Amino acid sequence: MDWLMSTPFVQDIVILFKPALYNIYFALVSIPFGFPLAILLALGKNSRNRLIASFSKVYIYAFRGSPLFIQFFMFYSISLACNQSLWKPLGLDGLMLNPLFIGPLVLILNTSAYAAEIFYGALQTIPKGEIEASRALGMTKWQEFRTTTWPNMLRLAWPGYTNEVVFLFHATAIVYFTLPVINDQKDLLNKAGELFEKDYNLFLHFSVAALYFLVISMILFYLLNLVNKYLNRHLKVRSNLKIKPSYIR
Amino acid sequence: MIELIPDWLGNWLGQDGLDTIKYLTNGKHMAWYSSVKFTLIAAVLGGVLAVFFGLMGAAMKQSKIAPLRWIGNIYTTMVRGIPDVLFLLFFPLALEQLAELVMAYMYCSPEQWSNATGWPVCREAQWLLSTNEYLLMACLSFGIVFGAFAANVIYGAMQAVPKGQLEAAEAFGFTEKQILWRFQIRQMWVYALPGLSNVWLLLLKATSLLSLLQITDIVSWADRLGAPNYLSMAGLVHPDWRWKYYLVLFIFYILLTMISERFFAFLQVRASRGMARSN
Repeated sequence: MDWLMSTPFVQDIVILFKPALYNIYFALVSIPFGFPLAILLALGKNSRNRLIASFSKVYIYAFRGSPLFIQFFMFYSISLACNQSLWKPLGLDGLMLNPLFIGPLVLILNTSAYAAEIFYGALQTIPKGEIEASRALGMTKWQEFRTTTWPNMLRLAWPGYTNEVVFLFHATAIVYFTLPVINDQKDLLNKAGELFEKDYNLFLHFSVAALYFLVISMILFYLLNLVNKYLNRHLKVRSNLKIKPSYIR
Repeated sequence: MIELIPDWLGNWLGQDGLDTIKYLTNGKHMAWYSSVKFTLIAAVLGGVLAVFFGLMGAAMKQSKIAPLRWIGNIYTTMVRGIPDVLFLLFFPLALEQLAELVMAYMYCSPEQWSNATGWPVCREAQWLLSTNEYLLMACLSFGIVFGAFAANVIYGAMQAVPKGQLEAAEAFGFTEKQILWRFQIRQMWVYALPGLSNVWLLLLKATSLLSLLQITDIVSWADRLGAPNYLSMAGLVHPDWRWKYYLVLFIFYILLTMISERFFAFLQVRASRGMARSN
């Protein structure tokens, strides 16, 4: 066993385990907040209220139309500019400038825009007949939403949402390129870069980091596919999500 | 710059307005504006390379030779599991090391080889990249990464070309190569355009990462210009204005996205001339 543990490859896997937890943390914190926000934005974009609809449209367009890299810089510098006048008096400066807080915050804002567009697309393709049927049954607006719109939207949007979650996980790689690295809080790419600077062994360190990303992405696919199966359980044809690249984001 | 403004406009703007214009047109700001060229070059050259790699990848994916098909499939799947930033950092460094290895074989003596403790092997074999070389490397990595996305789009579009047309071409005695180039690739653009538009928008947004490759692009300039300045010798004294500069970049990218969308909509209309439409 000792010879195995001393191979550079295995050593790298061990060293990069803790950094990988930071990437997982950023993704796992962002998903539960990004999901409901995305649903709200999608419903907002679909709403008849002009004000809500145009706000959602502008929000989604702005966050999808600009790079996440810039969004990180922008929100961090805004937070930094508010530090003296706002956060310090409120005693929030430790929180508002902490990458572990502001990183997920920007990721949530970003992913909710992308996911909202996916859910909005699904809302547009809900079978008309089903909505008419629920109206014919005399359902209230809420009942119609709960029994027809919601399950259909979720089912139709799920493959796209799966992609978005994986992209979100990949996006965590740039958090620490934009926000300050505190002590030894390094994520996969930072740590891989640090290891590279020590011995210039590019292929080893970067492939181990890539392996971590690959494996965690696979696990995400697997878990989200289970949900997909659950959502489509009433259909005869089981649709499996395939690990096949998608170009839509 | 300031002397180009006519008197009447200067009077109307007042001293404050003139000072603002003076500040916004000083040397550093002009350098910032001109650094937009890096972004645009990386996007356009990267996009052209991406289409090239995309065509190669798509052709490989539908190749009859199994190993080629495997390579094509691995190439198009890699972007699914690994973030683009990793490739963007990896490819330039890998190419640099490869070049240095070749240089080491050419210039380093055997003694230097045996005495070498790290990298590079000897001083002659060290390649310090200039901005232009980094930019080319960045374009190449953009081409490789987004070529994988484009390969998927192009592969799908190739499959969408009506089979009957390809069979007709075969019946007319066209060779396989002719069918690929004159029928399948010629006709797939209409189907590929929406997907390629998406890839282009992704690529455009990825150009903001150029500063990671030691290129002083718009992002690094924004950081420098916005940093607080307390010395009147170094220009206007101002607090931390970085958020203003990043806000400008935020809007700049949204505008680029808008223009691109318009352009692709125009292309789509042009490309679908003569196509039968169901709606």
